[in-house]
Formats: sequence, structure tokens, C-alpha cells
Amino acid sequence: MTIALEAVALTKAYGSVRALDDFSLSIPAGGVFGVLGPNGAGKSTLFRIALGLVRPTSGSASLFGAPAGDMTSLRKVGAMIETPRYPPYLTARDTLSMLALESGTRDADISGWLDRVGLGGAADRATNGFSVGMKQRLGLAAAFFTRPELVILDEPTSGMDPAGIQEIRALVVDLARKEGVTVILASHQLDEVRRVCDRVAILSKGKVVTEGAVDALTASQVRLRLVASPVEQVLAVLGEKGAADGPDAVLADISRSEAPALIRALVNAGVEITEARWREADLEGVYLQTLKSSGAA
Amino acid sequence: MFANAIAAERFRLLRDRSTLFWGFIFAPLVGFFLSIAGDIFLRQLAKKPLTGMPLDLVGQVLKALGSGASVFPALFLAIGAAAVLAGDYRWETWRLLTPRNSRPHLLGAKLVVVGEAILWNLVLTVGLTLLAGVIGASIAGKTLVVSGSGAGLGQIAGVFAVTWLEAMTLASLAAVIAVIARSPMGAVVAVVVVRFVQTILAAGLGAMAPEPTWKTLAIPAYSADLLRGFLAAPNHAGLETGPVGVALLVLLAWAAALAGGAILLFQRQDLTRE
Ligand SMILES: Nc1ncnc2c1ncn2[C@@H]1O[C@H](COP(=O)(O)OP(=O)(O)O)[C@@H](O)[C@H]1O
Ligand SMILES: [Mg+2]
Repeated sequence: MTIALEAVALTKAYGSVRALDDFSLSIPAGGVFGVLGPNGAGKSTLFRIALGLVRPTSGSASLFGAPAGDMTSLRKVGAMIETPRYPPYLTARDTLSMLALESGTRDADISGWLDRVGLGGAADRATNGFSVGMKQRLGLAAAFFTRPELVILDEPTSGMDPAGIQEIRALVVDLARKEGVTVILASHQLDEVRRVCDRVAILSKGKVVTEGAVDALTASQVRLRLVASPVEQVLAVLGEKGAADGPDAVLADISRSEAPALIRALVNAGVEITEARWREADLEGVYLQTLKSSGAA
Repeated sequence: MFANAIAAERFRLLRDRSTLFWGFIFAPLVGFFLSIAGDIFLRQLAKKPLTGMPLDLVGQVLKALGSGASVFPALFLAIGAAAVLAGDYRWETWRLLTPRNSRPHLLGAKLVVVGEAILWNLVLTVGLTLLAGVIGASIAGKTLVVSGSGAGLGQIAGVFAVTWLEAMTLASLAAVIAVIARSPMGAVVAVVVVRFVQTILAAGLGAMAPEPTWKTLAIPAYSADLLRGFLAAPNHAGLETGPVGVALLVLLAWAAALAGGAILLFQRQDLTRE
């Protein structure tokens, strides 16, 4: 299996702040990989290091096996890091023309790409007057139009209106499939990652707290939901492992094998159980749970 | 590839009209209009055509080129150079470019394109000086002369090259400051201050020791003046060729060292917020 992006024991310190802290992650080629984490988790720093914009304090990163920042690997990458900015005096078309010249791409279909991201009508306007959403669209075109093998998108929908967000998400999925490109997408929005990504790594405070296929992650965090009364008594028996879920229910963070003993204990304590069922967490549950257990939420 | 980076920078600068105008066109235009205004003033003052008064076109061009990198033109060249060299810090666009070409290529291409722009700026200076001469002569009724025809062309080419090289020492300085300060403003201020201090130092040290010394030769403006003086009047310069060779090496060394330093600094720089 080809590894698109690999980080090994990566640390980046800004004074006393560790944007990345002994960070290791391996992202396989193919599909859409989500990098999920709250603001300040280190997502953009990871990408800046991978693209050679920033040098790590220690550790190493590589793209397709070549050291980060190496031109041989960068030739295979398109990227949009944070909110894209452009020289204000260039039109959208000229911006892409300049980038094509810079990377020596002679056959880029610039008009076609501007149409594809919905900027066909604004192609010859200066980017100066573009809204955030239009700049993001141009950033997507800029990331994809030289036909890279890997596209890195850093919060591609931030600052956009809901309709634009829907459209850009659909576009990213469509491009990843049709172009056969590996996409790494950073986001702090769960919804986005759930809809777009196959695999995900959850970052917090410069570390990976959990990583895996979206389905597997949600399946791994099943909890027993008990509708019972009195709720207080259930919580008392569960201690650390219990959490109220509405006025008459409790979520028990226990394994399957612990369930019979728990139910017996509750019945012996005089609790009336009306319902008990296993519930799969959604990604939000996984996210909040992992952040909580890593002490960041 | 380096050629790709140069093509991209050139493409960009040609579309950045305000930088083109203020950086590379405005100063020669000011020279042009001042020259014509001077002739109109002279004509008014004399109240009759100044027939018989010679106007040497070669001399005019040599004079205009000779001051092509002095403090006033340097201010505008610095504005142009800084816009090219530090624009990507100002617009936060390095992150758009750096993954597409290597850092030495990116900054090197900017220096090449600034060099091209300065070249055209000097060509424009020559053209407008000739035009101002012809128009001015007809206004004031002076007689146009072209001294030493063939030799004159050689002199112009030599002085042109020296002034270009002098301007490139300033452009390379602008590159260093652009990378350190991450802003065009810092580069403009640094270039103008350094160019001004050079004039003062060259005059001060030159007055103390009329013959060129290592100290005075180390000042690019002094070396450039020495070279121009030698080229414009090779017979009367009364100079050994030794100091002239040193002067040329000094200009080359400054331009190369500053450009190399800028590229080295840029290569090691973190581009976080640009
Ligand atoms: N240039 C910088 N100087 C100081 N601190 C920085 C710099 N860049 C990033 N940081 C800090 O590093 C941490 C991670 O930032 P970032 O990678 O941008 O996170 P994310 O993209 O996940 O929001 C944050 O705490 C941020 O404040
Ligand atoms: Mg970020």
C-alpha cells in the first residue's frame, strides 16, 4: 500500500506552544482522509510541514516516501492551506495561468476548471473583489487543476454559506472519485468529515487521539442505554462509567461481558429497568468522547 | 524549473500595473517633463530662440543614465522591486507558490524579473532623454549635436551596464530586507536610506582622500561613479585601470552576496502566517 503522507514523531514548537507534539500518522493513498480536530489542534501546521512551508522542530514528514518539501514529492501535490489568498491585481484566470507557469503545466484546462468550481462567470474578474466562498472555489481549482496525485484541503468550506458548503462537499467527493485523487481534508466540522471522508484521524493539542475508518470508529464505541428508575441509583452504581441521557435514561460505558453483572446488581438494588439496548455512537459521540478522554474538551 | 518560475513572475508583474508604473515608469517620466519644463523656462527667460547653443544628445543620455540609480530614482526602483520581492508576504501568497517550485527558484526568479524591469526602466530613461532633447531643442531653439557617434554608443552601453549593476546591488538589498522584514515597506525604506548614506559616505571619504581607497571603493555608489567616470572619459579619467577593475568587482560582489544571502535566508525561513 502506498503511503501518501507520513509523519514520524513530528514536533513543532512555537515558543512554549507545541503546535504538533511527537505526532505520528500515516495516511494511505486513495480515498478521502479526514483530519478532524478543534481549532488549534495542529491541522494546518501538519500540512505546512508536509508542503515544506514550515520546518519541524524535530521528527520528520514525507510525501509518497520523499522528504517533505522535496520538489519530487511536491510535484504530485495540490493544496489549499487555510483561507486562500491571491495577488489582488490578478483575475481568477490569470491566477491559474500564473500557477500553471510556475509548475510548468502547459496543458491545463483553466476555463474548464473555473466552470467546474462555479467561477465561469467570474473568470476574468480580479480576485480582489471575490467573496470568501469564491476564493475557496478558486483555491479548489488551484489545488486540482494541475492533476496532482494528492490534494490537501485545509478547511475548504470555512466561511462559506450553507448552500456553498453543500456544493463544495459534493464537488470534493466527486473530484476525489472521478480524478482518482487522494484527498486529505482537514475540518473542525464533524458533519463534513462524516459526509465526505472514508477514514479519519482525530487530533487534539498536537497529537493524534484516535484514528481509523469512520465506520469502525463509530462501531467501536457502543454503549448500553438503560431506561430505568430511579436514575440516580443507576448512576451511583455505575460511578465513572455512567452518564445521564435525558431525565429517565443512562448511558453505560461498559463492555458486553460486563452487562449481565451490571443488570443483576441494579435489580438487586431495587432499580426498575424498562429498557436496555446497545447503542452505536455517531461520529460526534466518538469525537467528544475521545477529546474528553484526552482532556481537551 | 527556474525558467518556469521566471515566466510566472514576469506574467505577474506585467499584470501589476501600479507596480509597473510607480516602480519603473514614473521616475523617467518625471525626468522627461522636468527637462522639457526647463527648456520652456529657458525660452521664456531668453525671450528669443537660443540658436547656436549646442545640445549634445550623447552627453544628455550619459548624464541621465549616470544618475539612474541615485537617491530619487532609487526610491521608485525600490518601490517596484519591493512589490515584486515582498509581494507574497504582503498578500500572504507564498503558500500558493512554494509547493510549485523550489525556494531558490522562486526568489531567484523575482530578482531576475526585477533585473529585467530595471533594464527596461533604463531603456525608457534613454528613450525619454532623447525625446526630451529633441523636443526641448525645438522649444528653446538649441542646435542638436551628437558627439563622437560610434564611441558615444559604446560609452552609453558601458554606463548603462554600470548603472544597471548599481541598481541591482540595491535590488538585492531589497531582497534581503524583504525576506527579513516580510514586508515591502521595510525593503523600500532600507534601500532609500542605504542609498542616501552611500552618497554622504562617498562624498565624505572622497573629500578626505581624492584617490580611490579600499574604503571608498567598497561603497557601491562610489565604485559605480568611478566606473562611469572612466567609461565616459577614458582618456581624461587619469586613472590606473586597477581601481576600475576593483570597482567592477565590488559591484558584482555586493549584488551577488546580497542576492545569495537573500536566497539562503529565504530557504531556511518558516512560512507560517507569511
Ligand atoms: N506562527 C505561529 N506562531 C505561534 N503560534 C502558532 C503559529 N502557528 C500556529 N501556532 C499555534 O499552533 C497551534 C496549532 O495551530 P494550527 O496548526 O493552525 O491549528 P489548526 O489548523 O488545527 O487550527 C495553535 O495553538 C496556534 O496558536
Ligand atoms: Mg487551521
